Amino acid sequence: MTEATKAQRAHSDGEVMIRLEKLEKRYPGQKQPAVSELTMEIPEGEIVILVGPSGCGKTTTLKMINRVIEPTSGRILLEGDDVTNANPDKLRRRMGYVIQQIGLFPHMTIAQNIALVPRLLEWDKRRIDLRVDELLDLVGMDPSKYRNRYPKELSGGQRQRVGVARALSADPPVMLMDEPFGAIDPITRDRLQNEFLRLQEEIKKTIVFVTHDIDEAIKMGDRIAILRDESRIAQYDKPEHILSDPADSFVEDFIGRGASLKGLNLKRVRDVELADWPTAPQTASRGEVLEALRRSDQGAVLLLDERRRPRRWVDARDLDRTDKPLLETGLPPEAIVRPATTLLDALNEMLKSRVACAIVVDDSEAYQGAVDIDTIMESIQSMRAAARDESRALAGAEIRTRPDPS
Amino acid sequence: MEFLKNFRTYLEFQSEELIQATIEHAVLVLISIAIATVIGVGLGIAIYRTDRPAKLTLAVVGTMLTIPSFALFGLLTEPFGLGATAAVVALVMYALLPIVRNTVVGLRSVDPAVIESATGMGMNRWQRLARIELPLAWPIIITGVRVSTVITVGIAAIAAIINGPGLGKDIFRALARIGSPFAVYQALAPVVGVIFLGITFDVFFLVLRRLTTSRGLR
Repeated sequence: MTEATKAQRAHSDGEVMIRLEKLEKRYPGQKQPAVSELTMEIPEGEIVILVGPSGCGKTTTLKMINRVIEPTSGRILLEGDDVTNANPDKLRRRMGYVIQQIGLFPHMTIAQNIALVPRLLEWDKRRIDLRVDELLDLVGMDPSKYRNRYPKELSGGQRQRVGVARALSADPPVMLMDEPFGAIDPITRDRLQNEFLRLQEEIKKTIVFVTHDIDEAIKMGDRIAILRDESRIAQYDKPEHILSDPADSFVEDFIGRGASLKGLNLKRVRDVELADWPTAPQTASRGEVLEALRRSDQGAVLLLDERRRPRRWVDARDLDRTDKPLLETGLPPEAIVRPATTLLDALNEMLKSRVACAIVVDDSEAYQGAVDIDTIMESIQSMRAAARDESRALAGAEIRTRPDPS
Repeated sequence: MEFLKNFRTYLEFQSEELIQATIEHAVLVLISIAIATVIGVGLGIAIYRTDRPAKLTLAVVGTMLTIPSFALFGLLTEPFGLGATAAVVALVMYALLPIVRNTVVGLRSVDPAVIESATGMGMNRWQRLARIELPLAWPIIITGVRVSTVITVGIAAIAAIINGPGLGKDIFRALARIGSPFAVYQALAPVVGVIFLGITFDVFFLVLRRLTTSRGLR
């Protein structure tokens, strides 16, 4: 595939927000360019991930978009305007910028940090105050509690949230994020990633996101550009295509083993048909529960309370032990997941549970269904099939559009 | 005991003149420090992003501090004549090194991530300097000013040899009369004044630093 078709593939969906044309960065005294003639398009409203091994030029590429690093040659187009030679400070105010070290201003309060760009833009004070509170709410921090604190009084995760709020302050159409969750412990990182995806559903920004972590790329990206040395695009595609149809051995190696397993990060519990496990009200008699168990081909029945919240797993053996009430036999419900949980996380929970399935509950803790190994297998197969069909369709389209050699 | 009693009598007798001289001394120091702060911080801002010009500037202002004060005061009477002007010029020269050095060190100690995010947010060079770099470097800069002030309080006493104002006059008068009954008291009184001024300025700048440094930096 040529550079041009790789770049064009992004074009097929939304409007193009950012277009990089033959963007190149050479440092004096270095033979090889850091970024070599990169051409790519970033569609509006999507998260595009630049991922690659360290030293591949992904961060340099990102920093050329807002010209914190000036390109040696090539063009940058933002919403169709050539901004390669525009005033860099004005350009940067149209792009939020979040870096790994966050770089909050330690001498300013949280509110002052967030208010900085609006103040540079000379908004009136009332509008700025409203915006600060709105943004703190948006990133899940109580404005009255945090407004007047200083960065050193916050935890790493809270600082990162403020960093995101600050980048959003003047409502720029574009966000550039350089390993934004790189320096945060794994548990907090996972939470911040989920929060950020939820946030993005609301704000619909065009986001360019750099990471070296392919799992993060798959989880966060609407589109992933896998870069090799000198920021050359090895593959630029939707994550499911990259997993099912890696362009070459470099991409294959970079994804590593377990591509199917990684694909489970793309789907959420709400996207799949839930498995049907037998249930019974907790007030049911042993006979009724046994009847429910017989009617299904599963090994256990889930007892639910009057609000359909899971209370207890019981199997045939538990039903035989008549010396105890039903609710005191069997196993407590484990592996409880929600519709927004990824299938990979659900699988993980399922493997930890003593009953071979994960229980799905809604926001009021009421039972919705279950995810078991069949659910997982089915979705892996359907993802494979869908990816295969799409690759075929694309290959067909490319053949049709290829000019006649004669 | 006898000595202290006599000294107190002397102080009471001379109090008006001593207070006058102390005020003159303080004003001389404050004017010099104000000028040195403007020049020193300006120089620091001009050179902190450079390498060789910064080293050169620091070497030059460092050398000034090594010139013996008697010699410098003497030399400066050539262009400026006797009196306060030459004294102020000499004191500014002595005060520069700590201020320039601390300005450079302070501005260079600002976290590069903070500067990068300021740049990435669309702040130009001057906005960055005024809103981010100088406020962050401020505690270090004001410490330089404090050190300069304490040094200058001592050196300012020498200004009397070129007919400058301040507590030095009494010291030199006393030195000229060594052996006379009051010489020791006459020398000691201004020395106490100099020490008093030094401590007062030191405390003043410590308090000022605390009051003018953001709570987020403490």
